[in-house]
Amino acid sequence: MILKKRQKYLHIALNNTLEEAENIISALPVSERILIEAGTPLIKRYGAEAVSRIKGLAPTGAYIVADNKCADMAAREVEMMTNAGASAVTCLGVAPIETINAFIAECKRFEIDSMVDMMNVETPLLVLKSLKKAPDVVILHRGVDESEFSKEKQIPYYQIKQIKGSFDVMVAVAGGDTINEVQRALFNDADIVVVWKNFYQSDANTAELANSFLEQIK
Amino acid sequence: MEGMKDSRMRLDPRKKYLQTAFNRSMTEVLLMIAKLPSSDRILIEAGTPFIKQYGAKGVQVLRTAWNLKLGKSGYIVADLKTMDRGGKEVEIFAQAGASAVTCLGLAPTETINELIRQCEDSGIDSMVDMMNVEFPFEVLRKLKKLPKVVVLHRGVDEGQGKNAKILPHQEINRIKGAYGHLLISIAGGETERDVVRTYFNGADIAVVWRQFAEMPDQTSDLAKSFLKLIK
Repeated sequence: MILKKRQKYLHIALNNTLEEAENIISALPVSERILIEAGTPLIKRYGAEAVSRIKGLAPTGAYIVADNKCADMAAREVEMMTNAGASAVTCLGVAPIETINAFIAECKRFEIDSMVDMMNVETPLLVLKSLKKAPDVVILHRGVDESEFSKEKQIPYYQIKQIKGSFDVMVAVAGGDTINEVQRALFNDADIVVVWKNFYQSDANTAELANSFLEQIK
Repeated sequence: MEGMKDSRMRLDPRKKYLQTAFNRSMTEVLLMIAKLPSSDRILIEAGTPFIKQYGAKGVQVLRTAWNLKLGKSGYIVADLKTMDRGGKEVEIFAQAGASAVTCLGLAPTETINELIRQCEDSGIDSMVDMMNVEFPFEVLRKLKKLPKVVVLHRGVDEGQGKNAKILPHQEINRIKGAYGHLLISIAGGETERDVVRTYFNGADIAVVWRQFAEMPDQTSDLAKSFLKLIK
């Protein structure tokens, strides 16, 4: 695994356009504790080029996550995203078990990190138990549509300890908009906190959040 | 649809369609399109890996190539397999020239609802892909509005080896019974026999892709015999 087990990371997802991605990246502090993601809408809009362009914009050696949300044909997608320069790729936890197994094996082969996204999975532990090998990272979160249209749905913090107690994996959770929310996720034992810019915020907000993260979280 | 301002092709519920999925490199895909017979009963799918490789531009290129081949506006499916941010992805691909986009039946209900709503707004068709969904009917029941098309997958029949793919008869009948106007698409057919059986079992669209990945000539033959056999 490329990520370090005892380190805390801030994972910044870029979802809109490459122009916006460039603005946000140029304002970000340089740190190996900041992970930069080419979000799903960006990959679908620009293709694998979204990943290589973001890698080009980011500081040399930055950790790039391709949020391809693989649902099928894992080998094909892992290879494509690795060639584009990804350090980690994602697969859906709702995908067929064969797909997730193939996905994890391919990530191993290409020496990149595997992340399984548990969106809309009721019991992530059950998915993990049916896999041949655990992934490097498990992502716990609610979808953006879900959170917007059904506000009562919460981030399932209690699952973090459950998962880390049973499997040797790192856990990423969605972290909200403020440093307090990011801290809350870390207190609940998350290793990686995922944040993104909301449409009503300026590009600079994301950089501010990244700076407070580096200052306040060691 | 002649006489209408909108030149976009619509699916006709009285017709049967063959959908061919493209997942190879752009050059190969364009060669394959050239080999297909020119008929608007063939639907062109930009496969998920193809979209992740080439983005919305890939769909634009397919749209242009297929329109040229047909001499009019054809039908392009963007197999997005959307899991979140339903509205956003639809906007991008409607602009790129997709006639339909797909959403995963495994996605949160809010996402499927949002995708269907945005498809109606953008004037394109919504398809819900029931891959890995045990009871597709239950997913449909929870939605605010129904999609235009439901995509069902053939199951692998354990008893007969890998090549025997069984049709989800029960689900087709249940869905057709409750929602008569919904179109049904069946994914996973590979032979002429598979495709013909699909239509006899009430499906409107048969999706083929494996042969296309391996043997482009044979798929164009399959498309030709489809046009002859199924009227």
